[in-house]
Amino acid sequence: MKVNIINYAIAFFIILLLSFLLPRLMPGDPLTAIYGEETLLSMTQELKSQLADSFDLDKPLWKQFFIYLYNLARGDIGYSYYHNAPVLRVVISYLPWTLLLMGTALILSTILGVITGIESGWRRGKTFDKALLVGMMSLSGFPSFFIGITFLLTFSVTLGILPLQGAKTAYSGLSGFPLLLDVLKHLILPLASLTLVFISGSFLLTRNTMVTILGEPFILTAKAKGLRDRQVRYKHAGKNCMLPVVTQTGIGFGTRLITGALFVEVVFSYPGMGTLTYNSLLMRDYPVLQGSLLIITIFVLGINLAVDLLYRKLDPRVGNAR
Amino acid sequence: MYKRAAEFTIFTVLAFLAFTTVTSVLAVTYTIADPTGDWGYPSLYGMYPRGSGYVRMSLIFDTLVWKDKGGIIPALAESWVYMPEKNAYVFNLREDVTWHDGKRFTAADVVFTLNYIKQHPWEWVDSNIIKEAEEIDEYVVEIYLSKPYAPFLTNVAGTLPVIPKHVWEGVEKPDQFVSEEALIGTGPYRLSDYNKAQGTYLYEAYEDYYLGKPEVDRIKFVKVSEEIAPTALKNGEVNASSVPPEILDDLRSKGLEIAEEPPTWAAKLIINHKKEPLSSKEFRSALAYAIDREKIVRIAKRGHAVPGSMGLIPPSNRSWHNPNVRKYAHDVARAKGIIDDMGYTTDKDGYYHKDDKRLEFELLAGSVFREEFSRIGELIKSDLEEVGVKINLRGLESKVADARIKNWNFDLAVGGHGGLGGDPVALNRNITGGGFNSARYFQNEELVTLLKKQLQEMDIKKRKRIVYRIQDICAQELPAITLYHPMWYWAHDGTVDIYYTDGGLALGIPIPINKLSFLEYHKQR
Repeated sequence: MKVNIINYAIAFFIILLLSFLLPRLMPGDPLTAIYGEETLLSMTQELKSQLADSFDLDKPLWKQFFIYLYNLARGDIGYSYYHNAPVLRVVISYLPWTLLLMGTALILSTILGVITGIESGWRRGKTFDKALLVGMMSLSGFPSFFIGITFLLTFSVTLGILPLQGAKTAYSGLSGFPLLLDVLKHLILPLASLTLVFISGSFLLTRNTMVTILGEPFILTAKAKGLRDRQVRYKHAGKNCMLPVVTQTGIGFGTRLITGALFVEVVFSYPGMGTLTYNSLLMRDYPVLQGSLLIITIFVLGINLAVDLLYRKLDPRVGNAR
Repeated sequence: MYKRAAEFTIFTVLAFLAFTTVTSVLAVTYTIADPTGDWGYPSLYGMYPRGSGYVRMSLIFDTLVWKDKGGIIPALAESWVYMPEKNAYVFNLREDVTWHDGKRFTAADVVFTLNYIKQHPWEWVDSNIIKEAEEIDEYVVEIYLSKPYAPFLTNVAGTLPVIPKHVWEGVEKPDQFVSEEALIGTGPYRLSDYNKAQGTYLYEAYEDYYLGKPEVDRIKFVKVSEEIAPTALKNGEVNASSVPPEILDDLRSKGLEIAEEPPTWAAKLIINHKKEPLSSKEFRSALAYAIDREKIVRIAKRGHAVPGSMGLIPPSNRSWHNPNVRKYAHDVARAKGIIDDMGYTTDKDGYYHKDDKRLEFELLAGSVFREEFSRIGELIKSDLEEVGVKINLRGLESKVADARIKNWNFDLAVGGHGGLGGDPVALNRNITGGGFNSARYFQNEELVTLLKKQLQEMDIKKRKRIVYRIQDICAQELPAITLYHPMWYWAHDGTVDIYYTDGGLALGIPIPINKLSFLEYHKQR
């Protein structure tokens, strides 16, 4: 356990360094990115130097890094050039929506994927299994934004039964239950697109593990004991499939938070971290990029830790391993 | 029978009465779609430095003068006069203006604002233009300029919003002043909500506005992606939105009205004129003859643009456009002739060579982020290669390309900028200015001198002559090649008269959201 925490600390520091360095190594500087394009602005020399000074852009990189670390230690994750607001406040206004969307999509796709995977593996080679396998394989081939656009065109534009965009109706004056309903209505399509894309991963993994496990002697024993099919399927085989699925979900969370969310968020104009990161990249808003990477890092490391701990529950051998 | 008719009449009258009372009680809300959504806190220093940020701020704050369809009109100032002997403007202010907190607006606020931007630079107005401001009496201000500055009325008096002295006095960090107090203005609207993540704004009409309470009670800005905006318009979810040109006919057939922007933007072939042979103006003119700009308009813009004026100012800017500049009609033979005269010979690969070196350039032309530029890049490549100049296309993310242009690390690039609909100070910004959008061209002394001179010429007729001459020289020298001026459109339901302000909003913002529109509302639907 001790080693574990040192590992996490090292990983955290390296990510911190990279998230500081990478945006700054890109060509293009924030002052030009934010102020250069708009030709109507009068950028006087005073204003330029004042901006560079207030953002510490005129200091050498290593100094900027130490200033960043010092501020971080005080709990200040930076000040956004573009949003003209503390990074924490910017990120916090976007984060809940992504967590809502990604969290539900991840949970839903994992549960559905595991159940279909178990059922499919159990019926290996039968028509049910084959149909599901083909269906899932083709689904996984579609990019999330493609499914999203198809849904949007069908349900919102053509049929007009679901909202066109956003996470809630602006200034509808709703509260309480109707507001919740409104948020859910907006959530359905992006959630469905993400779930459909994510589902194939956990499905394939569960199915494969299931097939392997079904060949194990303890399954034969369980069957020989005269246990009911369902008990063997879920209690004996199913539970043992969880290990790789949990790992994969844990690892996938971080990458999906950014990549998966980005496209779907853009398609549905959903206000989340994907949109924020993308815009900050275009505006060379280093502090927001760092800040959102930092928060995602904390999430990913936290989830990895949770997965590590969950492992011990799922497989006691892990805890005893030296 | 008569009874029936009477009953029917009474019923209709009652229904009509009920209907009118209901509609008059219901507040009028106007919803505007925006693909980006968030443009920052709509205070002077909180908004993002972009046109859309300015529009959101301009609903809350007023300037000394403003513009409508026809040009400059009085706003906080009732009248003004320029006194050449003192190089100063005198503004007589309205006496019936109140701040949103109820306090009276006076000359002291104007003087304070001008001094404030001297201490705390504000991106939109160069405060060096102003020497000092003096309060003559409670409602008269005299503003002394450091040098005569011709664009003063539109670009300073018509752009700088006046802020209340009693609120801003003692505010040392204006960019971090984002409380409700920072939004006390004199404008027709007050902000009642701003949601950064959702990209939404809600404004309520200010009852005591000096031109009367606006008829539109609430204005909403909501985030709607470009692709979805037309559907949202047709469904009536939004009242106005910018729209792509391809769907104009469809929208018109659904009863929507279209506002067409007089072009203010220019797409340009940016040339590294510090590099051989691009440094030769003859060679640049060969490029201009070789590129078929009409074809670019037809194919890449599907006709929704006008071919670029080599004098940079588009024909739609009627006050300043010089129609007689050199035109460079597509002429392959002429282009070849010029390159032949420079000592280049065609090799067996079909391209020009000199001293065993092929005449070839790298052309930075958009990427997935700027598909339009990629299409234009392809067309330019085929035109130039037809003449015998080899072109290597390169797609770069726009900020990367901007950085390379800024550092002169390129040959040719497709780029562009706006700001050409208003005052010709735009010529200075884009020919001798310091930004990457500028050609940064100082090789022609007359051009450099005239650019300085036009800013100080307060006589409009004389200034016009200078501006015409600048465009002439520009078209001969070709610091860059103007490719086309695109047309942009907004669609709306007609309840509010949405129009493009003459010369652009304030100092030339090409967005048809002018606060004056909302003072009137036509019950159409």
